[in-house]
Amino acid sequence: MSTVDDRPMADADGPEEPTNRPEVTHRLREWLSRPYARHIIVMTAVFTLLVLPAAWLVIHFMNLTGAPASAIMSEIEKTMFVFTMVSAPLMAVTLAVIIYSLIGWGRVTGDEPPMQASPAIRGNAIGTGLWIGVTSVLAAFLVVWGLVELATITSLSYGSTPANQQPNSARPIDINVTGQQWVWSFEYPDNGRITSDQLVVPIDVPLYFNVTSLDVVHSFWVVELGIKIDANPGAITNTGVTPNKLGTYSIRCAELCGLHHAYMETTITVVTQEQYDAWLREHGGKRTV
Amino acid sequence: MSDTAVIHEQAAVPQPAQHGRPGGMLRHTSIITGTVAGLVLAVITYAIGSHYFVPWGEQNADFSQVGLDALVAATYVAWVIGFMAGIGAFAGPIRWALGHDLTHADAEYMAGRGQGKWRYWKYTTDHKVVGFQYLIMAMVLLGLGGFLAMLIRTELGVTWAEVFDPNFYNSLIGTHGIVMVIAMIIVVAGPLGNFIVPIMIGARDMAFPRLNALSFWLLFAAVPPLVSNLLLGGMRDGWTVYQPLGNQAPVGMIGYQVCIIVFAFSTGIASVNLITTIVTMRARGMTWNRVPIFAFGILGSSIMGLVWFPMFQYSQILALSDKVIASSFYIPQMGGSVWLYENLFWLLGHPEVYVIVIPATAALLELMTVFLRKPLFSYKIAVAGIAGVVGISSVVWVHHMYMTGWAPAAGYPFMLSTELISIPFGFLVLVMLGTIWRGKVWTRLPMMCVYAVIWCKIIGGITGVYLSDVPVDQYMHGSMFVVAHFHFMLMGAGLFAAMGAIAYWFPKMTGRILNERIGSIGFWTAFFGFQLTFGSMFIAGLQGMPRRVLQFDNAFNISNWASTIGAYIIGIGMLVFLYAVIHSWRNGQPSGSNPWGSKSLEWQTETPVPLENFPVLPVVTSDPYDYGVPDPYDEIERELTDEGAESTVGAR
Repeated sequence: MSTVDDRPMADADGPEEPTNRPEVTHRLREWLSRPYARHIIVMTAVFTLLVLPAAWLVIHFMNLTGAPASAIMSEIEKTMFVFTMVSAPLMAVTLAVIIYSLIGWGRVTGDEPPMQASPAIRGNAIGTGLWIGVTSVLAAFLVVWGLVELATITSLSYGSTPANQQPNSARPIDINVTGQQWVWSFEYPDNGRITSDQLVVPIDVPLYFNVTSLDVVHSFWVVELGIKIDANPGAITNTGVTPNKLGTYSIRCAELCGLHHAYMETTITVVTQEQYDAWLREHGGKRTV
Repeated sequence: MSDTAVIHEQAAVPQPAQHGRPGGMLRHTSIITGTVAGLVLAVITYAIGSHYFVPWGEQNADFSQVGLDALVAATYVAWVIGFMAGIGAFAGPIRWALGHDLTHADAEYMAGRGQGKWRYWKYTTDHKVVGFQYLIMAMVLLGLGGFLAMLIRTELGVTWAEVFDPNFYNSLIGTHGIVMVIAMIIVVAGPLGNFIVPIMIGARDMAFPRLNALSFWLLFAAVPPLVSNLLLGGMRDGWTVYQPLGNQAPVGMIGYQVCIIVFAFSTGIASVNLITTIVTMRARGMTWNRVPIFAFGILGSSIMGLVWFPMFQYSQILALSDKVIASSFYIPQMGGSVWLYENLFWLLGHPEVYVIVIPATAALLELMTVFLRKPLFSYKIAVAGIAGVVGISSVVWVHHMYMTGWAPAAGYPFMLSTELISIPFGFLVLVMLGTIWRGKVWTRLPMMCVYAVIWCKIIGGITGVYLSDVPVDQYMHGSMFVVAHFHFMLMGAGLFAAMGAIAYWFPKMTGRILNERIGSIGFWTAFFGFQLTFGSMFIAGLQGMPRRVLQFDNAFNISNWASTIGAYIIGIGMLVFLYAVIHSWRNGQPSGSNPWGSKSLEWQTETPVPLENFPVLPVVTSDPYDYGVPDPYDEIERELTDEGAESTVGAR
C-alpha cells in the first residue's frame, strides 16, 4: 500500500479543473509502480536474453553434418532461427509469470484449505486484449513468413530461381528416384539412362526428381539439402534442389516402410562438373548438355 | 454454490410389472461369463472356419495361407460379440424385445445396489462404477504402453547391436503408439468425465447409464485383440499403419484393425452420452455461464470424438476389407489410393490430439481456482478457447501430409489454419497465467502439476509452430523432432495434467488423500526424466535422425543414450507414482467430503458418493469460482480516481 503515499495527490497535478478522468498514462504508471509488475518485466527481459541463444543452438545442431548444402536448407534454417527468436519473448513471459508465482506472490502450505487471500480477479480487459492482440500479430507474422518462405522454397525446388541468385545457364538434370523395400535407386534419363544406388550430382546445377515407389510409401529425404517428398506407389511426386556445397550427404527414408526401414539410406555426393562428367563416362552415360 | 433448495419428491409414476427377481439375466453375468463366452465363441468360430471354409495348404501369391486373414478377423469379431453377450450387454435389448420394461428395482440392481465390490466386475450402469473401471483400464494401458516404451528405448540405447528383430521392434513401436493413444483418450474423459462430470453438474447419473456401461465394456473387449497382435506376428507398421504397408503385415494387424473399429464405437457411444448429459442434465440454475470449465472441456472433447472418430473407423474398415476380401481401396496396383488412407486417418489423427489435451487442460483450469483461491480468469475466454480449438481442429489435418505429395498447394491454406489454432490455444494459456496472476498458491501436488504442464506446453507449443511451417516440416517431417514434439504435447501436457487431475479428484473418488510426499517424488522424477528423454530427442531430430528406426548413424548416439537414461528415470518415477496411488487408495489418510475446500458441486456431496449422488438435487446460484477477496489495487484505483475521491480526502 506504500504506492499510494508515494504519489502526488490526484488534484495537485496542475492548474486544470480536477476531473474524474485519469490521465491517459495514469493506469500504466500506476501499474508499473506495483513491485510485482517491475519484477516480472525484468524477469521477462532476463529470460528472453537467456533463451535467445537457443536460436543459434538450433542451427548449430542442424549444421553438424555439413548442412546447409542448398539454398533451400538455408531458407529452412533461417525460418527456424526467426521462429525461435520470435518465440523467445513469449516463452520468457510465461516462465516469468510461473516462476514469480512460486516466489513472489506468496505460498501457503499445510493440509487445511487456506484462507481466501488472493484477489478475486475475474478478468482484465486490457490484459486480455493485449494478449490476444500480441498473439494474433505473432501468428499473423508467422503465417505470412511461412507463406512467403513456402513460395520461395517451392520456386527453388522447381528450378525457376537458381540457388545462387545468378542467371544459371545449366539445364536441370532430371533424376528418377525409385524407392523399394529397402533400397533407393536412381536413374539419369538424360544421360543414357544409367542407374546407380548412390547419387552423384554436379554442384550449382538444378536437380529435378521424379519420385515413385514400387511397393509401399517411402519418403525421399536428402537431409543436408533440406528436401523431402514421399515416394508413393502408383504416383509420381516431384521435388527439386540445387546443391551449392561440395561434399557427401545422407539420403534417408523418412516414412516407416517395413522391416529394414532403418537401413534404407544411401548418399548423395555433390561434385564439380568435371568430376561429374568423369563419373558419367565411367558408368557408361553420356553428357547431353 | 452455498444456496441449495429442496426439490420435492416427484409424484409416483406407474411402474412396469417386475418379471422375476430384479436384475433378471444380469444377476448371472459378469466379466467371467463374458470372457468365457467370448473365448468359447472365438474358438468355435475358429474351429468351424478352419475346418469348413479355409482350404488348408493353398497359398496366396505371397506364400501366406489362403483365407487365414478372414478366419482371424472372424475369430476376433466372435470374441467381441461373445464377450459382449456373455457380460450381458444384450440383456436390455432382449428384455425390450420380450416386452419386459425395466422396473425401478431392476435399474437399481443394474446400477450396482447391494453388490459390494463385485459391481466393478459387472455390466454396472452407475457412472461412478464406470469411472473406476475406466481408471483401472487407463492405468493398465498406460503401464503396458510404458513398458513397451522402455523396450523401445532399450533398443535405441543399445546402439551397438540389435536387441530385437526388426519385425518385433516395429510391432513394439506400433503397439506402444496405439496403446498410449487409447490410454490417453480415456485417461481423463473416462474416469473423470464419467465419475466427476455428472456430480459436478448436479445430475444423478449419466443421461444413458446403460450406454455408459456399453462404452466401457466395448473398450474392454477391444483391447485383447490389440495386445494379442504381438503374438500373431505383430502390427509392425507404426500406430498410423500407412497402407499398403499395413496390407503386407502378418495377421496381427487384424487385431489392430478390429480394436480400432470396436474402440471407435465405444468412443462414439461415450461421446454421445457425455454430450447429452452435459447439455440436458445440468442442475437447476446451472446456466451455460455457470458450467464448470472442466465440463466444457469434456464437452468439447466429446464433440471432436463424436465427429472425427468415425473417420478413423472407416479407414480401418476399408483396410480390413482390403486385407480380408482383397478389395483395393488403398492398393495402387489395383486402382486404389494411398492418399485416401492418409486423409481418412489424419481426419481423426489430428483432432485426437485435442481430444486428449483439451479435457486435461480444462481439468487443470478447474483445480487451479481451488489451489489459488481465485476465480477463473476470464471464464468466457476459456470457453472461447475451447470452442476455437474444437472448431479449427477440424481443418488442420493436412499438416500431417505436407510431404506426401498429395497436394503440394494445400500447404498454403493448411499452414494458415494450423498456425491459427495457436490463437485459441493461446487463450487457454492466458487463462492459466491470468488465474496464477497475483494468487497466493497453495503448493499441493495437483497445483504443482500445473506448473509442470505449463512448461511442457510452452515447449510443445513452440515446436508445434515450427512443424506447422511447411519449409521447416520439409526438414523435420518423419524425424525424431516430431516424436519429441508430440510427446511434449501428449505426455507433457496430457499425461502430467491427467496425473494432476487424478490427484485432485482422488479424494472424491476413493475417500482418501493421495500421498503427497510419495506422489510428488514420483511425479517430479518422471518430469525430469521426461525433460532429459525428449529434450535430447529434439537434438537427435535436429541432426536429422528419422523416427521409427532401430539402428542409426553414430552421430545420434549421445542424444539417444541420454534419451534412454531419461526414459528409465521416467519409468522409475511412474512406478513411484503408481505406488503412491495404490498405497493411498488402500490405506491413505481419509479425506472427508471436501478436503480442498472447493466450491464446486461434486465436493458438496458426501464421500463416498451415494448411489444417486445427491439426497436432493442442488440448485445453482453462481459459478463455482467464487473465491478471493476484493482486489486491494482496485480499492486504491477507486480512491484515486472518481467515486471515492471526496471520501478519501475526507478520511485523510
